[in-house]
Amino acid sequence: MDYTFTEEQEMIRQSVREFAERKIAPIALKMEETKEIPMDIVKGMAELGIIAPTASPDYGGVGFDAVTCTIVAEELARADPTGSIPVFYLIQASWGHVLNKYGTHECKSEVFPRVTKGDWFLGIATTESDAGSDLGSTRTRITPTEKGYVVNGEKMYISGVREAYNRGGGHVTIAKQTPELGTRGMTLFYLPLQVKGITPTYVDDLGREGISTGGFTIDNVEIPKHYLIGEENKGFYIVHEGYEFARGLISVICASAGLKSLENGMNYIKQRKCFGTPIGKFEGIQFKLAEHYTKLSMLKDMAYKAMHTFDLEQKGKAKRFEVSKAIAMAKLFAQEWACAAIDDVMQWQGAFGYTKECPDQCAWRAVRSFGWAEGSKEVMRIIVGRELLGREFIPYR
Amino acid sequence: MEFVVLVKQVPDTTEVKVDPKTGTLIRDGVPSILNPFDQFALEEALRLREKIKDRIPVNVTVISMGPPQAKTAIMKCLALGADKGILLSDRTFAGADTWATSLTLAEAVKKLGKFDIVFCGQQAIDGDTAQVGPEVAQLLGIPQVTYVDSILGFENNKITVRSLTDDGYRVVEVKLPMLLTCSTPSSFEPSNPSMAAILKANKKPFEIWTAETLGGDKSKFGLSGSPTQVSRVYSPPVRGKGVVYKENIEEGIKKVVEALMDKKVI
Ligand SMILES: Cc1cc2nc3c(=O)[nH]c(=O)nc-3n(C[C@H](O)[C@H](O)[C@H](O)COP(=O)(O)OP(=O)(O)OC[C@H]3O[C@@H](n4cnc5c(N)ncnc54)[C@H](O)[C@@H]3O)c2cc1C
Ligand SMILES: Cc1cc2nc3c(=O)[nH]c(=O)nc-3n(C[C@H](O)[C@H](O)[C@H](O)COP(=O)(O)OP(=O)(O)OC[C@H]3O[C@@H](n4cnc5c(N)ncnc54)[C@H](O)[C@@H]3O)c2cc1C
Repeated sequence: MDYTFTEEQEMIRQSVREFAERKIAPIALKMEETKEIPMDIVKGMAELGIIAPTASPDYGGVGFDAVTCTIVAEELARADPTGSIPVFYLIQASWGHVLNKYGTHECKSEVFPRVTKGDWFLGIATTESDAGSDLGSTRTRITPTEKGYVVNGEKMYISGVREAYNRGGGHVTIAKQTPELGTRGMTLFYLPLQVKGITPTYVDDLGREGISTGGFTIDNVEIPKHYLIGEENKGFYIVHEGYEFARGLISVICASAGLKSLENGMNYIKQRKCFGTPIGKFEGIQFKLAEHYTKLSMLKDMAYKAMHTFDLEQKGKAKRFEVSKAIAMAKLFAQEWACAAIDDVMQWQGAFGYTKECPDQCAWRAVRSFGWAEGSKEVMRIIVGRELLGREFIPYR
Repeated sequence: MEFVVLVKQVPDTTEVKVDPKTGTLIRDGVPSILNPFDQFALEEALRLREKIKDRIPVNVTVISMGPPQAKTAIMKCLALGADKGILLSDRTFAGADTWATSLTLAEAVKKLGKFDIVFCGQQAIDGDTAQVGPEVAQLLGIPQVTYVDSILGFENNKITVRSLTDDGYRVVEVKLPMLLTCSTPSSFEPSNPSMAAILKANKKPFEIWTAETLGGDKSKFGLSGSPTQVSRVYSPPVRGKGVVYKENIEEGIKKVVEALMDKKVI
């Protein structure tokens, strides 16, 4: 068993860490007010080559595998307590993987060069007001036409709507093509947002303020044939590959944000004195530190193991269900453990922990979103249960 | 044209602590980095290469002496744009003082054959002697300019550089081949190698040279080739107590000025 990263991966970590510490960390909290990732950071990420790094070099990417993408996510999460840049990164890396693997040459040639340069945003839009965990309830429809397809419907709680609507780009989107076939009749496609028939809406959520969350209505939007991703009616299967990629990245982001918060906490408890001694000397505090640190380290290891399994499957060396289970296990506790750790770090800092100046409260709000985003923590339990007991034990089938 | 950049891998001294008992650096668990002055030297070399590439094609070779792990520093240089890396690594080289270090580096530069400019950092942030650059120049028998913070011009085998002095700077014009040691200006922002460049670095030529490769009498290298010996490393004890004037500020200022004049500081 070899538990080491390659020399190349170590260099990648180092370079991303230096960039993140030098460029991202100093401005991170400002995003709470400006509500956007500064354009020079986006351009810096593009130059570094970490926007949709899963895109193949033929289209402007660097063709990273899942483990290497995880390294990048870990470093970004350390530097940005608002979670905005990690989210901006993880969505484009994950859905870049899907577009790269299943998209057409024309679509990739159009989208990737602009996305990897930071000009466009590539998102994911599956959730609707009545379809989240239960994708089968999707109401958006895609209908073939002579020239391509026409799409009608509405999407809700979607990340990066403002980015794609204002700057360009679009979302990997799912819709029903053959409704009578249920999940076997769903199609995945690329939906540009700067087209006639798209009307955006925005929601004011709790955190990750630098990236927007919103939705859009889709009114008779026509798209060309080459925006199809994978085969018609196979969307439900393909979309899970993207979700799994994203879930793995989210697990490491939770672990890394939590560990960074513990670092902040350690600095604080070493110097803050109560009753004449640094509070770090109290075992009531030390034991919690030890437990959180251990749990978050476990989480990080599980995330890497899950993404390693993902990479093995891509090479035909692991089975689909092994990946689903490993990934779901890695995400299952991610948000809860990270939030619990960050919550204690806030507690250690006394009243300061409850101020907006405290970066940890920001990290808590960001991490909390991962209890739902890219698949809720309950759904992760459903997946692990299903893999252990068999499909016949899914209660609602 | 051939540029050679000498780079050293150093412990990140911002994270190094000094053992209060022995006075030596505690290097355990401290990450190693490319000496920051050397990264600037490399980037200067690459910038110059870029500037003159239409007139004169340039090859940039990076040389480092150090343990096998020092390969990481060379790989970073390759990712930043150098063309070739050479690591001088051999047990025989261990324990070298600045003399033996410079001699080994100079032999490696000679072995390359042709060289036009040798770039060094001003100093290594761990050893801090600032001796290696000038010694290498001496051993190669070429002119040197130290503390260079910018390259002003380059034409027909002649380079013009700005060199910092204690009270300003001087502009120096030198014929090639020559060696310069680089001082990082405060405005310098080190580059991060891009993902694509890192992937490319692995495909660039990289060689490990040993004492055997350099040839000759091995006793000139490493500990046996080092005329200096460290007898003791210690932090100088803090001497004298400070005096604080708190009560009467006016009086205090007068006393401080008197004391400074007394000691001929002002
Ligand atoms: C900040 C943020 C950003 C998001 N970005 C995107 C995006 O970019 N693209 C996108 O498509 N979606 C996005 N989402 C939506 C996210 O994927 C959904 O919130 C998630 O899939 C859950 O769906 P839902 O909100 O409709 O909850 P529902 O599916 O309605 O579920 C409600 C609750 O019931 C639980 N539940 C459901 N079934 C069971 C069961 N069988 N047993 C036990 N509990 C169950 C769920 O876990 C959840 O807690 C985002 C969400 C957030 C919060
Ligand atoms: C008296 C003495 C005894 C020493 N004994 C030992 C010992 O026993 N064991 C031991 O490990 N070390 C020893 N050292 C340390 C070692 O000799 C120095 O680190 C080395 O000579 C470089 O000197 P420096 O770090 O001061 O570099 P500087 O002279 O400050 O470096 C200037 C520039 O020279 C170049 N350069 C320096 N070193 C290298 C290198 N290795 N490869 C490529 N380029 C380089 C770089 O461009 C650098 O920016 C000793 C040093 C001294 C002064």
